[in-house]
Amino acid sequence: MSSTTPLLTGKSKNDKIRKTLGKVIHMQSFDYFAPRTMTELHQLLHATAGKIIAGGTDMLPQIRNTKQSPSLLIDISHIPDLRYIQENKEEVLIGALTTWSELLESPLIQKTAPALTQAAAMVGAPMTRNRGTLGGNLGNASPAADSLPPLLTLDAMVHLTSQNGQRQVPLHEFLAGPGKTTLKADECIRQISYKKVNPPFGSVFMKLGARQGMTISIASVSVLLTLDINGKIALARIALGAVAPTAVRCPDAETFLLGKEPSTALWQEAAFQTRKAITPIDDVRGTREYRYHVASILTRRALESAYTLLQE
Amino acid sequence: MQLIQVSLKVNGKKYQLETPPNRTLLEVLREDLRLTAAKDGCSSGECGACTVLMDGKAVNSCLVLIGSADGHSIETVEGLHKTGAPHPLQKAFVEKGAVQCGFCTPGVLMAAKALLDQNPDPDEEQIRMALAGNLCRCTGYTKIIEAVQEAAKELHHE
Repeated sequence: MSSTTPLLTGKSKNDKIRKTLGKVIHMQSFDYFAPRTMTELHQLLHATAGKIIAGGTDMLPQIRNTKQSPSLLIDISHIPDLRYIQENKEEVLIGALTTWSELLESPLIQKTAPALTQAAAMVGAPMTRNRGTLGGNLGNASPAADSLPPLLTLDAMVHLTSQNGQRQVPLHEFLAGPGKTTLKADECIRQISYKKVNPPFGSVFMKLGARQGMTISIASVSVLLTLDINGKIALARIALGAVAPTAVRCPDAETFLLGKEPSTALWQEAAFQTRKAITPIDDVRGTREYRYHVASILTRRALESAYTLLQE
Repeated sequence: MQLIQVSLKVNGKKYQLETPPNRTLLEVLREDLRLTAAKDGCSSGECGACTVLMDGKAVNSCLVLIGSADGHSIETVEGLHKTGAPHPLQKAFVEKGAVQCGFCTPGVLMAAKALLDQNPDPDEEQIRMALAGNLCRCTGYTKIIEAVQEAAKELHHE
């Protein structure tokens, strides 16, 4: 062997075989803590530079391909207090450890945020949905994360806690770029909340991927629509995913729709206006031009679909 | 790197392990417990060859950190035939020709079992969505879908 670069840092006896195969399978070394309570978690976050892991469906591939190289992992999956879907009079509160499967099966989410249910149904396969968490989807901050467009249309708040207390951040301020958030080193995501919108409303999520099941979005959209008593648009919120450094709302398109009479031409024009809000890139899943194209088409379809729901 | 203590229940049997934390449930199943049905296909949650049940739910065991599995109950294909007779799913897979090279089969069987445990009478679309995370390069999936339908019928009769 002429190469002197060690591919692997693990100590399994199979390392030799794996090196020969040239495949990096083993994870780097790290220390590991699994707090059982929020107090323990806050202490760990305060005292160490640990990286939080929840379901692991994003984090483990990132560690394997060395995009992440934590020296300490703090596994929050054993904290039961972080797993709930609750409501009070005004809001719905979702614990950070709530899985996609739990979101998908929740009647409360189905009633108050159908777009989030639709998004949950389209995330990965059952195996990913059974492990992947809402908090993880936010913390990982992929521009293509499927929870983000529905939550942005709901003006969701992210509740962060640390040993020093707690704060709430609007989701759009929490997201800072691809894989970047405004979470501080000693903080964790406690829950996500959104205010209930009075029915009737049209709430839709759509995504375009390479296949129907188990696909990462090339572009995604969520729309929330309500009408006034005259049938004109009272509230319009549009959010797009995978077409900008973070998932984004489309303020121009939203303002354009307010007070107008629904029509095919109106949806078309509003969909075109989303161009102002997005800055797509070329990547393995699609080109910049293609993303501009499909963002507009998805938005039109989502608006039409939300309006159809309102007429039912 | 400090070793961690993990207790697991696998196919009804309890295990106490001491292991480095940078290992997955899949590695422990295969290397420590010598349960080699679950396979390491892609190591990234794309192929489903490593699918096992954790507390009755299908998971990619290559993406479950061994510490996260602590205290949980795991089922693998090795635990399917409890009385020595094959599980109706296994029988149907053989009868319908849903197995060719067999690499994906243990994962497909566990994903299918999770489906049938939750929904005893799935339609074709539901079966396809439940198995969307299990790649098979041999069968073209048709035989697999037929086998799951056949097993569902058989389980109804039991």
